[in-house]
Amino acid sequence: MATTTPADNRRLLAPLQDDPKLAAWVAVGLFLFALQAGAVAHFLTGLVADLLGIFPTAEASNSVLGRLVGLFEVAQRRAAELPTLLSRDVVPNAGHWNGDRWVGTFMGFSPAVSWGIRVTLVYAYAFTWVVWAVLGYRYYREQYRVADWTPRDDIVDRFRSHGWGLFGATIVFLFVVMVVFAPTLGPTTVEQNMESSYDYETTYWNSETEEVETILTGEANLNSKSTGDQSRVMPMSYDDFGRFHPFGTLPNGRDLFTFIVAGSRISLVIGLLSVGLSAALAVTLAMTSAYYKGRVDLGTVLLSDAVMAMPQLLLLIMLITVLSDSWVGEIYSGGFVLALIFAFTGWTYMWRSIRGPALQISERTWIDAAQSFGQRPWTIMRKHMLPYITGYILVYGSMTLGGAIIAIAGLSYLGLGVAPPTPEWGRAIQLGQEYVNTGSWHISLIPGLLITLVVTGFNALGDGIRDAIDPQSDTGTGGAAGRGGGA
Amino acid sequence: MSRPDGSTDRTPGREPLLSVSDLRTVFYTDKETIHAVDGISFDIYPGETVGLVGESGSGKSVTARSLLGLVDEPGVVEEGTLEFKGEDLLETGWAEYRGDLSIVFQDPSNALNPVYTVGNQIREALAIHQGLRGSAARERAIELLEAVGIPDAPRRVKEYPHQFSGGMQQRAVIAIALACDPDLLVCDEPTTALDVTIQAQILDLLDELQREEDLAILFISHDMGVIEETADRINVIYAGEIVERAPTERLLAAPEHPYTEALLNSIPGRTPPDQRLPTLDGEVPTPDGPAESCRFAPRCPVAVEECHETPPDAVAVGENGTDHSAACLLAGESEPEGEQ
Repeated sequence: MATTTPADNRRLLAPLQDDPKLAAWVAVGLFLFALQAGAVAHFLTGLVADLLGIFPTAEASNSVLGRLVGLFEVAQRRAAELPTLLSRDVVPNAGHWNGDRWVGTFMGFSPAVSWGIRVTLVYAYAFTWVVWAVLGYRYYREQYRVADWTPRDDIVDRFRSHGWGLFGATIVFLFVVMVVFAPTLGPTTVEQNMESSYDYETTYWNSETEEVETILTGEANLNSKSTGDQSRVMPMSYDDFGRFHPFGTLPNGRDLFTFIVAGSRISLVIGLLSVGLSAALAVTLAMTSAYYKGRVDLGTVLLSDAVMAMPQLLLLIMLITVLSDSWVGEIYSGGFVLALIFAFTGWTYMWRSIRGPALQISERTWIDAAQSFGQRPWTIMRKHMLPYITGYILVYGSMTLGGAIIAIAGLSYLGLGVAPPTPEWGRAIQLGQEYVNTGSWHISLIPGLLITLVVTGFNALGDGIRDAIDPQSDTGTGGAAGRGGGA
Repeated sequence: MSRPDGSTDRTPGREPLLSVSDLRTVFYTDKETIHAVDGISFDIYPGETVGLVGESGSGKSVTARSLLGLVDEPGVVEEGTLEFKGEDLLETGWAEYRGDLSIVFQDPSNALNPVYTVGNQIREALAIHQGLRGSAARERAIELLEAVGIPDAPRRVKEYPHQFSGGMQQRAVIAIALACDPDLLVCDEPTTALDVTIQAQILDLLDELQREEDLAILFISHDMGVIEETADRINVIYAGEIVERAPTERLLAAPEHPYTEALLNSIPGRTPPDQRLPTLDGEVPTPDGPAESCRFAPRCPVAVEECHETPPDAVAVGENGTDHSAACLLAGESEPEGEQ
């Protein structure tokens, strides 16, 4: 093996030397990655430590697991020290007025402007990645791909001219960036502002005494409540302690924007987990039942009918209550259990939708051909059937994800699901419910609008993908009229 | 006639490669039970081409699928034996013999998966049957494409099926079948989806490959003209039963079954140019129960009353030693056809 390695290396790196454009593209990618490498390392080490920490034996410090957890926690702390472009420290917005200028904010701008710069930077960074990826794909299509045209090109082209789908993609992009950079985007952090607000201090300019004073953040919160017409901190305004609130404050004085950004993470993680699990289940069962047909198919139909017949809401409420004190119930503030329940009750709908296309594909001759030369059944399903149903999975997955986000919000509105200190969109709506017809209308309205927008975005993306996959569909509006006839 | 009847590849002592006997494949649907293949028997010897001819719906493809173990639910191979190299495939399963039996399907555009390059699909078979991976597999795939007559193979191997023409696609399918290094190639109407010139090329290719690799071929077609060109021996199938079998020359010269005669008459060259091509009215019946009469009787021009009451057994006809049999009550009784 050792003799072949240098040759392989040369082959892998050869295009980089011959093609300056490709080299530049790779360099830009590496540079973009380097800007945030610390954050990625921090996230990954933290993830491993948390995952290992789930197991009950990890708590004993002398066990192997316990030591591993310790090791990764140290690694995480190290990683946190690596400089990254988009950290809160590089563009700070938590400063105070000292009488004639802002202290502690980015280049002496006001907290609002500093925060704006940081948000812009985050989105610009994410957008650069997208441009980088698109350019790379185009270059690959022109220079490196052997075939001039593949059926997937048509799908991409149809999607590019699908306005509604692009709208969805944009919303989903904005939302996903919000999720990924949640701790950076908020004007303050969950820990400082919510979880342990009495361990942190806020420095502010007291205009009555005309002096810079400090106060516990928790106490500052108590004086920034939005409860009706008299006491309120509205969107895009400062409270009495010089803190900027892009979305105003909650009835308990905490920052709504930070709350929502952190909540978006929970929504998407639970949503993705549940959709991912149910898609995996649905796809496996759909391909198996389409491949073997007959009794296997009938068995799966019966199973899914049985699952569908269970009242989902009742099951949810029951299981959440029963499991709330167990160790599974505590993972991710109860979000993990929620995802599991969604997955195991929700796969049936996706399975029903995918089974049809899977059956259709299983009738194609190339399946028989692969069988005839002795390919293993699972490989046939993966190689010769899966590519034809991934499109459907994307469509149903993206629509189910919207549904999951609504369901999670709905449950936490009812006080179920994600346990209280952890921010969740539905709880923000519930908290603001009393003040909807008062001056503090923003508390319920903003998260409500956001849920609507995000779910619409995911559904629009699903619509767009659906239309792009289906060659018979009419693309877009208006200008498409001429093209539609040709198909 | 010009060639000693039927003795081409059947030197005594040589075992048949595949021996099918009394094969019955039944489809159980909610409405009816269809005996698509109803007691078929034939042998294939190494290196020979056996033809299976019959019109649409006579059970040709189901026979092919039964041989390869590709019958999907609700179909079941109910009875019979498929002795391949001395082992009954219906008992041992196909697992060990996958690849020794290969199949070429009717519609090449459907037999190739459009999302993978042609090379990828050849390599898939190579990996399973010859254990070739990486550059060895790439080289072998190119060789195979060259062997089936695809020009510029090193470039073509990286192309997708849609970049191939129909004839090219069928050549690629044959290349995949060859990648398994088969002993028996089942060709299920391999030229039906192609136009006539391409058809001739594919037939030549199969012929050439057969000689090079000592392949046995089961050639299935509805086209008597094609079968006549390729097969050493012909089995005529009608409604799931073999109604006549004979060496090619013999069958063409002296058909004993009225159905064979009707098929032969439908070859355009056999009818004088100024006459209408004779046709048979009606369609192949769906065999939905055990035979209670001759299944061809309703369409048979020479049927007598007895034909509607008794299912005929295959009887040997012709001189001793010729492998010629026909399942017709009237066979052998009538005076010998044509010249003595």
